[in-house]
Amino acid sequence: MFSQLKARFGSGLAVGIIGMIAIWLIGLVILPQLLMVDYSFRPNLLPADIGGPKDVYSLTNYETLFGNHIHLKIFFKTIWSSVLVTGLTLVVSYPIAFYLAKVATPQKAALCLLLLIIPFWINEILRTFSWYIILAYKGPLNALLLGLGFIDRPIRFLSGDGGVLIGMVYAYILFMIFPIYNAIESLDTNQIKAARNLGAGWIRTHWRVVIPHAKPGIATGCIMTFMLAAGSYAVPALLGSPGSRWFTQIIYNWFFEGGDWNQGAAYAFLLLIICIGFIALVMRIFKVGLGDIAK
Amino acid sequence: MKSETIMRFAVRFYIGVFFVYLFTPLIIMGLATFNDSRFPTVSPWKGATLKWFEALAQDGAMWTALWTSVVVAAGVLVVAVPVGICCALFLSTVQGKGKTFLYSLMMSPLLTPGVIVGISTLIFWKGLSVSGGVFLTVVAQTTFIAAYVMLMVLARLQRFDRTLENAALSLGATQWQAFRRILLPYLKPAIFSAAAIAFLQSFENYNTTLFVKGYDTTLTVYIASKVRTGLTPAVNALGLVMISVTILLAVIYEVKRRREQSMNG
Amino acid sequence: MDSSVHLDNTVMQFGDFTAIQKTDLTIQSGEFFSFLGPSGCGKTTILNMISGFIDPTQGDIKIGGKSMHGVPANKRPTSMIFQNLALFPLMTVAENIEFGLEVRGVSKNERKKASDRLLELVALEGSGTKKVSELSGGQKQRIAIARALAVEPQVLLLDEPLSALDLKLRQHMRTELKAIQRKTGITFIYITHDQGEALTMSDRVAVMSAGRIQQVADPITLYRDPHTAFVASFVGENNGVSGKVIEAKSDLVVLDCGPLGKLAGRSQGNIAVGTAATLFIRPEHFRLQAENGMHTLGATIDEVNFEGAYLTLNAKTPAEQALSIQLGTHQFSESLKKGAPVSLSYNELDAIVIAGEGHV
Repeated sequence: MFSQLKARFGSGLAVGIIGMIAIWLIGLVILPQLLMVDYSFRPNLLPADIGGPKDVYSLTNYETLFGNHIHLKIFFKTIWSSVLVTGLTLVVSYPIAFYLAKVATPQKAALCLLLLIIPFWINEILRTFSWYIILAYKGPLNALLLGLGFIDRPIRFLSGDGGVLIGMVYAYILFMIFPIYNAIESLDTNQIKAARNLGAGWIRTHWRVVIPHAKPGIATGCIMTFMLAAGSYAVPALLGSPGSRWFTQIIYNWFFEGGDWNQGAAYAFLLLIICIGFIALVMRIFKVGLGDIAK
Repeated sequence: MKSETIMRFAVRFYIGVFFVYLFTPLIIMGLATFNDSRFPTVSPWKGATLKWFEALAQDGAMWTALWTSVVVAAGVLVVAVPVGICCALFLSTVQGKGKTFLYSLMMSPLLTPGVIVGISTLIFWKGLSVSGGVFLTVVAQTTFIAAYVMLMVLARLQRFDRTLENAALSLGATQWQAFRRILLPYLKPAIFSAAAIAFLQSFENYNTTLFVKGYDTTLTVYIASKVRTGLTPAVNALGLVMISVTILLAVIYEVKRRREQSMNG
Repeated sequence: MDSSVHLDNTVMQFGDFTAIQKTDLTIQSGEFFSFLGPSGCGKTTILNMISGFIDPTQGDIKIGGKSMHGVPANKRPTSMIFQNLALFPLMTVAENIEFGLEVRGVSKNERKKASDRLLELVALEGSGTKKVSELSGGQKQRIAIARALAVEPQVLLLDEPLSALDLKLRQHMRTELKAIQRKTGITFIYITHDQGEALTMSDRVAVMSAGRIQQVADPITLYRDPHTAFVASFVGENNGVSGKVIEAKSDLVVLDCGPLGKLAGRSQGNIAVGTAATLFIRPEHFRLQAENGMHTLGATIDEVNFEGAYLTLNAKTPAEQALSIQLGTHQFSESLKKGAPVSLSYNELDAIVIAGEGHV
């Protein structure tokens, strides 16, 4: 590998390139992850005891989670809700992506894409905060619904997980639309016409022609959305209530309130495993490789 | 024919609803800034005011947080852009076994939840007796922002015609000269885009920053804390300013990109 | 100055695949030399070895008598014109031409002088400030030549540079390239799959097939006296008729061609009596009227095509062998029509005999 780099860039630059990559991959990506895993298997000790006889590997930190029903419940709720967010986002995004890629005229599509990107350029916290205003007990949504006579009393949108789900779908929708849009755009429009011509209905055309072609995009979108949802701290912290905590909030508490980093590391590692598991599952379902993701 | 018409109408309706959904929150937030109310809301409307901009301007903690964000973003830019470029150069040059593995490894920070990037960075540097703060924030953000830069630069590199480099060599250029004079100018637009995205990503990052910020506060963290405690429409004022600035930057960027595109035929 | 190029027992292998079989060849100083062959024959590999983009597995490349072993591409006295020209799109025309001088640290003034002089040479005075994208195909071509000449190479390597141009421009550029080569006096090494280009411009041509040089000769010799069946059928059109050698005296060979009877031609190399051999007759060497000492074979016309100045006939021999015949239009008569018998004569000095069965 070095010889190929050297042949193209000369040895000085090749050494520089390898060096930069090595520092980043080893120092910032690999070692911190490994150390986090290592941490999660050790007990939380006073600095004096570290490296001493009590510093042995054990599964204690993981047993804590499985012994704590509240944490376990939040853990599974986080996974389930993230799957729900992913599914909802996919359903909302697919028609938009298809419209942009195949229905809209090029000028319209370009304008829509620009409009889509603008909220994406804006801080996630701010976007979530706006939903906080909208969904508030005395907020404009309740005012509107009351005014139209749909409801008699304002609804507490922010007391359960509902607000969190709405906020997340909103926050991550672009991570779903863009990969699917890119995938559908590369589909030859004549294939859709041919399917229609052969008598296939819209649903069948999508199911048999468009969706199979868009698989890598759908997989990428689902992976990104799930990962962002399961790992989100901002949205549940802003839109959730004390009764609807997210697993990331439990992790945060172990670090900065419970002061038990080892315990927090174990929780974090479990979250990471869930995300990796989800990626593996999606890649299996859609039969795509890592190389197809995030193109 | 009839079902086609209904279909078309349904699609238009859906697209319309979607864009309303996309922009309503931003509009509501903007409007709430001008409402003369103690809490950020638009209902009930208590009359227009500009006092929350004034309150914002006098918020010293906000200015400190803004400065911290700029410092962090600049730091990330300086490290993540070169790293990302190196990765892209590596991937576009090297063939053979292990390439797919390395590519997956380079992509992995993008597929790891931000909180975990923050946590692992915090734990790793604790072992080196470095605790949270601006430095760790730069390090943690660089971990995944470098991967964004890599993807953007790689996308342009894949369209590069390598015979141009051979042409430069055949005319007597050293490999460094060929890189400096041929490849780098070609990559320039992608590098600038990647730098802009890197800056923005750093500026708005919350999940990772939260774990490694130590006692330093970035603007995003500051806004989040304001939302949860002591909420006043001054936060909206800040949001409105940030939205305006980002839209302005986006428009400038877009105009510039289009002009360059038309210049290059 | 000696600017000869010597492929000194050069071999090039990529893994198990031998791209260039052992080759020993000297290209003279100041020669216009072409490598001609179908795609995949190894001609580009030879160019890449001379320019230094790849190193031969065995043997050496010598330029001006000096070994190029371990000398990288940017230190060799060669410069290359690429198939896609590879003009630098972000630079102006003048910057492109001056690039080679710039990287050598030549002063701005000197560079300007050089680019003005070269723009004049390629008849594009005053276009130095233009962008590359503003040029037409032919102008780009000339800028690529000017850029390659700016570094004053001893050897100019040209990798099918005309293939992207339309027919008319291509023919015009042939003359122009030849003129530039004469004016500058440097060695041109040209690779192409287009025999028209190779034959019109070159002093000598090497015909290549499957990593091996089949024959090196001047264009006329190549056409008249191909040494191998591959050259005979690749350069120009040819009809191959196989048979058994029944008589071989000095340079004339007689073959027994079965139902076609006994046919004779000039021998290429040593051909022994009793072995298999192939007789090659070019389409334009057939006559409808036999003259003294000519050989004649009978055939049936399959198709008559009128192409303006000449006629081409496709015919079949009794042995189902397809023949292609070219006649002057003045020889046309009503009797030349599909299904009609025709007797074809040729002069034995116009036909050649090459050992082996093969019509490639």
